[in-house]
Amino acid sequence: MDFLKVSSSPHMRHEDSTKVIMLDVIIALCPALIWAIHIFGGRALILTLVSVASSVFFEFIYRIFAKKSVTVGDFSAAVTGMLLAFTLPVSVPLWIPVLGSFFAIVIVKQLYGGLGKNIVNPALAARVFLFLAFPTEMATYTKPFAKLPLFSTPDITNPDIVASATPLANINAGNFAALDTVDLLFGNTAGCIGEVSALLLIIGGVYLFVRKIITWHIPVSFLATVAVVSYITGADPVQSVICHLLSGGLIIGAFFMATDYVTSPVSSKGRIIYGIGCGLITMFIRLCGGYPEGVSFAILVMNCLAWYIDKFTRPKVFGGGKKNEKK
Amino acid sequence: MAFTFSGGIHIDGCKSTRKIPIENMPAPEFVALPLQQHIGAPVKAIVAPGDKVKIGQIIAKNDNALSCPVHASISGTVEKIELRNSYNGIGKTEYIIIKNDGLDEICDSIKPLQKKVTDLTCDEIVDIVQNAGISGMGGATFPAYAKIQSAVGKAQEIIINCAECEPFITANHRLLLEHPMDVINGAKILLIALGVNKATFAIEDNKKNAAKVLEELIGDDNMLSVKLLKTKYPQGDERQIVYALNHIEIPTGKLPADVGCVIFNAETCAAIYHAVVDGMPLVSRIVTVDGDCITNSKNLRIPLGTSYSDVVKYCGGIKGTLSKVINGGPMMGTAQWDLEGTVTKGTSALLFFSSKYEKNTEPCCIHCGKCVSVCPMHLEPLYLSLFSKASEFEKCLDYNIMSCMECGSCAYICPGNVPIVQYIREAKDKIKAKNQK
Repeated sequence: MDFLKVSSSPHMRHEDSTKVIMLDVIIALCPALIWAIHIFGGRALILTLVSVASSVFFEFIYRIFAKKSVTVGDFSAAVTGMLLAFTLPVSVPLWIPVLGSFFAIVIVKQLYGGLGKNIVNPALAARVFLFLAFPTEMATYTKPFAKLPLFSTPDITNPDIVASATPLANINAGNFAALDTVDLLFGNTAGCIGEVSALLLIIGGVYLFVRKIITWHIPVSFLATVAVVSYITGADPVQSVICHLLSGGLIIGAFFMATDYVTSPVSSKGRIIYGIGCGLITMFIRLCGGYPEGVSFAILVMNCLAWYIDKFTRPKVFGGGKKNEKK
Repeated sequence: MAFTFSGGIHIDGCKSTRKIPIENMPAPEFVALPLQQHIGAPVKAIVAPGDKVKIGQIIAKNDNALSCPVHASISGTVEKIELRNSYNGIGKTEYIIIKNDGLDEICDSIKPLQKKVTDLTCDEIVDIVQNAGISGMGGATFPAYAKIQSAVGKAQEIIINCAECEPFITANHRLLLEHPMDVINGAKILLIALGVNKATFAIEDNKKNAAKVLEELIGDDNMLSVKLLKTKYPQGDERQIVYALNHIEIPTGKLPADVGCVIFNAETCAAIYHAVVDGMPLVSRIVTVDGDCITNSKNLRIPLGTSYSDVVKYCGGIKGTLSKVINGGPMMGTAQWDLEGTVTKGTSALLFFSSKYEKNTEPCCIHCGKCVSVCPMHLEPLYLSLFSKASEFEKCLDYNIMSCMECGSCAYICPGNVPIVQYIREAKDKIKAKNQK
């Protein structure tokens, strides 16, 4: 007879693995991707595929060179690639997602030890890096249904395809009249590939919630904070709340970026504090900062605080814990 | 409405044996009885190779320390006394090996109770329970007499733990369906011993038929009651059961008796009943034999000391590729080295698993916090395993590692396949070793 396996209990494991979770995130992002292909054309799909492929490629190559186990099978690199693509305008040249993937996977994730060890969200950090390094490419948005070439770089000086302003830029300029709430909800606006359709992103978020991949704490506290601040500061409070909630990267940020396990706190209390922090910083940048959008910066700042929040929001131990421990 | 606690996991019960009646397994040719089947000090053999023994005869005891005497579970001749691997995987234990003579003779000292149960004093009951070698049969194996002693004067309520929250195990469920009066009478004896007038049968709501049987038999006896608990792991843990029923958190480092409760497993009650009324010590127990690698799953009453290989033979042998043999439930049971181990007082189940219940991905914590949300003790298992891995034992203590009861909910739910309980055990062992220096 073969030897029996002897290991510590428990001897049963839940069937959900990291891979299943990552696949669920990819599934949850698909409605928004399909919408993006619909309004931005095939180029949105090409950019997403390039981003995913290069993220997986860099993860694979790095793990081989570093003589570590190859981890592309957990699909976390694919999720990073997809999220990165979703934060890019559809008119960026194809080398942008490749460079972004390199930054996200190698510098932000693998150099810190790989999955579970990175301090900030790789996709977001890469987006901010690209945003600061290539401001023209990263801040030019095309009109919905503009005909863009699939592979070659579009001419972003052509006024026929370039949108005059994104919804957020309009909000920033106080130009609420230019906004149509229905368009914002369905995503019939200019913006990054994956951020335009609030409704489809919320559907994806609800899917993650139903599958118990995310809890309600971060998205709800994040969105609620943004709603409260925009209500207080808005000239027309209700319209201000709706426009702030539905525009920019807020929905994708609240459901898909801020909820990234690795870079967010673990306890319910911590998650609520984290969500509120994200909301406050987002609104601070949107209202007072020089950039129209603050979601990326807000989440990155809170990422850095996540482990400290964990430290100060430890759950109350059943039975009171160590103060009674001495027997 | 069913009572419960916060945290814990919903887990597929896999209780396919719930409809299989208890069968008496015939005594095997040899039994090997370990001299430590309980928490406390090991007992010492008082028989020598060549001695004749009968069923129920004390063959090992230790009067000077917390312990449970061991009785011969078959009649026959003591073959030898030898050191073998202990069933819990920690070091070696002495075993008394008895060869069956096929006569099934019962020891002469075993006689039914000569007086009315209600006339017994607490000390008499404690004596009987102690001499009958009864230890907690839910798996923790704490000597039952010591539990009664420690609860006298403190406990106002007895909780009969019929939760049976571990997957696969249906031994208590069958006991309650087939011999409910044994359990009820055991509870009544405990009421007398402790001088209290409230006993609660706490049972998970996946065993409603057993709860109904109990309710009908209890009738309008207002000392006894049945309460349904939500089916959730680890509902059967003492601290969680007390919290579910009474909404009291037992303070860290204290016992249930400190908050006025004392908890006995259903089968322990039945064993106490048999010891007191029939005079029969603990020589056999009900074991659920299940798993995807056993040909015929069964609920068996097995003489203590019967080897796993005899049980396997009786259940039609192994099918498929056997990867693990577990003494106890799949969540807290102990994986066994080989099939030479034997059924002991704490063996509620014997499970024969292929590798299908395991994950084989490389362990990697993704900080998802699922372990935090399921921990019934409200700890942060991910940090405990992280600190343990880094040998930061002071930090482990600061994060209340000693409150962990190793229920395994965290490791079960972990998508990153981190062996969290293993890390926690390592740290606890090192902390205990350091404290002993």
